[in-house]
Amino acid sequence: MWLPVKIDERRPEPLYHQIESQLRGLILGGQLQEGTALPSIRELAASLRCSAITIRRVYQDLENEGLIRTRQGAGTFVAGVERSDRDRHRLGRAAEQLEQAIDAGLQLQCSLEEIESLFMELVRSKSATSTGGYPDA
Amino acid sequence: MPDEDQPAIVLDGVSARSGREFTLGPLDAAIPRGWTTAIVGTNGSGKSTLFRALLGLAPLAQGKLEVLGTQVRPGCDERYKEKIGFVSENGHGCENSMTAKEKAAFASAWYPAWDPPYYRRLVRQFDIDEKTKLGKLSKGMRRKAELAVAMAHRPDLLLLDEPTSGLDPMIWKIWLEELRTYLADGDKTLLIATHITEEVRRLADYVLFLHRGRILAHYEKDRLFDEWRELLVQGTGMMSEADAVRLLEETPGICRVERDGPGLYRAQANGAGQAGRLASRLDVYGFRTLESRRMELEDILSCMIQKEDKNLEPA
Repeated sequence: MWLPVKIDERRPEPLYHQIESQLRGLILGGQLQEGTALPSIRELAASLRCSAITIRRVYQDLENEGLIRTRQGAGTFVAGVERSDRDRHRLGRAAEQLEQAIDAGLQLQCSLEEIESLFMELVRSKSATSTGGYPDA
Repeated sequence: MPDEDQPAIVLDGVSARSGREFTLGPLDAAIPRGWTTAIVGTNGSGKSTLFRALLGLAPLAQGKLEVLGTQVRPGCDERYKEKIGFVSENGHGCENSMTAKEKAAFASAWYPAWDPPYYRRLVRQFDIDEKTKLGKLSKGMRRKAELAVAMAHRPDLLLLDEPTSGLDPMIWKIWLEELRTYLADGDKTLLIATHITEEVRRLADYVLFLHRGRILAHYEKDRLFDEWRELLVQGTGMMSEADAVRLLEETPGICRVERDGPGLYRAQANGAGQAGRLASRLDVYGFRTLESRRMELEDILSCMIQKEDKNLEPA
């Protein structure tokens, strides 16, 4: 099975962290549904060109968080996720992205006031065209 | 998952002589069972001597060597070799007049675990010429035959010394796939000497750097690429470029510095991962890190060699 996980060679985070947070995102974001079979450790390592040690670590962490389950002999599967966890993840991710955008603005010598008014302007123009919200709400 | 407490190979102060000039070691390392370790090194680093030592073919001058739980020494129980598959860098001259079929027949008598259907599959997959004498085959054709024979008894430990030089890209891909299937059961240990970066990228879990008979470093592969980075840093206007370069060069962890436009420097560094202290150190000096990029294996190796050579220079 192919997973839409991308490694960014320029990010400072360690490899396992990049893979783990993307996989967590796919599960909490609902792209990977409960019961979906994940690739074996070696398969995923080969397709991401990373070490099987890293993938094992990622799977162990996600299993400890209750996001995936390993059944002896059968493989690794996506576990059920609470709605509240998904919401927390969704808002957390959005906050992260917005923070990055603010940092980019600051690097361009914008003041916080300028960024705020730009943000409000963009939100207004979006709300004219889209309703946004949860895809399966 | 494999039992990491029980390494496949333990090198404890091992040194071995090869020819008149070359001494391997002393080497200290544990090659973990169930994982793939790539040996990366320059020509003459001692890779091939190490393989010979593992097979008891290069007598130890010193130290203790354990392979699959057997202590390798003259007169030791040689049955551990039944669980090893080996492809040497250069084919054995004594096999030149054998065909692949004859070599396989010989090997099948020697290895109790020889798996004929599996061997047939490898012959088909690798498209092996079974009838021509090995000495008459091209390097790549011979390589394929040797790989199939080395894998056909599903060895616990597979030792491959530059196994794919001469293979065409199609066979190389099929070989990678076969190797992955072989490794899938989780208990197999692969030790592969290679200078092909892509093989290290795709296969290795650990990387062992060998240079002039000594181990430069032994890394978990992904940690290696996490830690070694090429940084693009910006100096402060207060500092002359020469001062900035000197300051960077003296910063622990940084190995190579180049100017890259006005006030900009490229530095290749170890310990540049997120948790590293390097970034904060650069901060204190007033440098700003604009970019941090993973390095290629070759560049990491050459940094390590440069550092090693510096350490060997008399102060």
